[in-house]
Amino acid sequence: MSNPSAYKVLDGLFYTKEHEWARVEGGTVKVGITDYAAKTLNDIVYLTLPSAGQDVKQLGTFGTVESIKAVSELYSPLSGTVTSTNQELVNHPELINKSPYEAGWIIELRPSKLEEEKMALLSPKQYEEFLSSLEEEHH
Amino acid sequence: MKHTPLYDFHRKHGKMVEFAGYDMPIWYTSTVEEHMTVRNNAGIFDVSHMGRVEVSGPDSGKFIEKLFPTDIGKQPNGKSVYTLLLREDAGIIDDLIVLKKDENNYLVVINAASRPKDLRHMEKTGSGLNFKMDDVTEATTMIAVQGPSAIEALQPLTPLPLAGTKRFTHTESTVKGIRAVITRTGYTGEDGFEIILYDAASGAMAVWEALAKSAKPCALGARDSLRLEAGLPLYGSDMDESTNPLEADLGWVISKDKRSYVGQPALAAIMQNGPGKVRRGIIMEERIPRHEFKVTDQSGAEIGSVTSGTFSPILKRGIAMAYVKTPASKLGESVKVVVRDAPSGGKIVKFPFYDDSLYGWKRKPHQ
Repeated sequence: MSNPSAYKVLDGLFYTKEHEWARVEGGTVKVGITDYAAKTLNDIVYLTLPSAGQDVKQLGTFGTVESIKAVSELYSPLSGTVTSTNQELVNHPELINKSPYEAGWIIELRPSKLEEEKMALLSPKQYEEFLSSLEEEHH
Repeated sequence: MKHTPLYDFHRKHGKMVEFAGYDMPIWYTSTVEEHMTVRNNAGIFDVSHMGRVEVSGPDSGKFIEKLFPTDIGKQPNGKSVYTLLLREDAGIIDDLIVLKKDENNYLVVINAASRPKDLRHMEKTGSGLNFKMDDVTEATTMIAVQGPSAIEALQPLTPLPLAGTKRFTHTESTVKGIRAVITRTGYTGEDGFEIILYDAASGAMAVWEALAKSAKPCALGARDSLRLEAGLPLYGSDMDESTNPLEADLGWVISKDKRSYVGQPALAAIMQNGPGKVRRGIIMEERIPRHEFKVTDQSGAEIGSVTSGTFSPILKRGIAMAYVKTPASKLGESVKVVVRDAPSGGKIVKFPFYDDSLYGWKRKPHQ
């Protein structure tokens, strides 16, 4: 259970140390939480999501994700304006556990400083290394 | 950190956390899945971390009488009795189950975190009496088999005809050839058994693995969500030494005519005046209440606070146990729970949270 390679990290995404991912899709960016975050929270049962049109700041909170046991803040990888939220999650928050990088995406935003801010995010390789360092702390 | 005799299984299959000094699993696969399996089929829990103390000897009946507000002397042999250990001021030291084997033999099952202070309290209360207290926690293994299919899961391993046993009774028998006390009790709201095995090594592991063939291993996360949904308080969260039995909504354990036990005079005064606050269930319209969230009335005036909260997998809603000021604690009353600055609507409801004709040990058998 505690082997870092047990957690999926996808190529082509940007990551935060708070375990969110960002996928640039043309002019917008999809945001979700990583496989590590989903597995660590275990069953995701509830979300609080922002409204479309709301502005978010890089590493500012934009909502919460809750498991049976715990509440976790969601941090935006990038600054921008929320263009939509994943309505499927309202009735099926478990989609995040089943498919954290695809069906379990959480918000879509229009980034305001993409080029500048993406420099502060982790590459897949850096994020994998970060996960390994977390596991070492626990042993 | 301490390990139970089933530790190797947990480490291999579960996500581990520290609990009351023990390295224990918080989940194996998924808390919701484990929870639903116990409501619909059967699950097994390692509850070996709980304290087990044998009380025996000529004065043990007198000792038990002095310890508890429940008249265990009047109970027949073979009863498993839920009761409380009280301070002089009626503050709750622990909640526990007393297995009355006979007038001179008892087995007391206590909470893991409370074990040292319970033992101190028991020794102090028993001074001058002729009895023996034997902490058998480390020498035994305790496994809970819970859910509507608990009998089917356990029966192949024991000669005891389980269907013939009654709720809140226990019998000495064997499980897979190992001496065991089997009590028809639990902490999930469901029918089921707790087995105290007089083995703390490979024999216990063999029992666990045999049970795991027909019942799903379940961990602390599901144990907590199940007991909360059933309205069962957790010592240390939903009550402690600053709480009295009436506040905790556990007045039913007090035998009205019983005298001369620790806490009785204080309790008599409390019963006359009534409690100022009381433990209640709150079901939310949306959001999930958590420990220490404030409870207010419709106007926003504070009336209490949440002691435990979770998401109910059966009701698909947030549920909480909270202490609410008595005048505001009526069943059906609309309240608000302040969830991270956002007052969120809820209603005071009776325990258990689920419909007990559909779930729990009182459910109607399927037609």
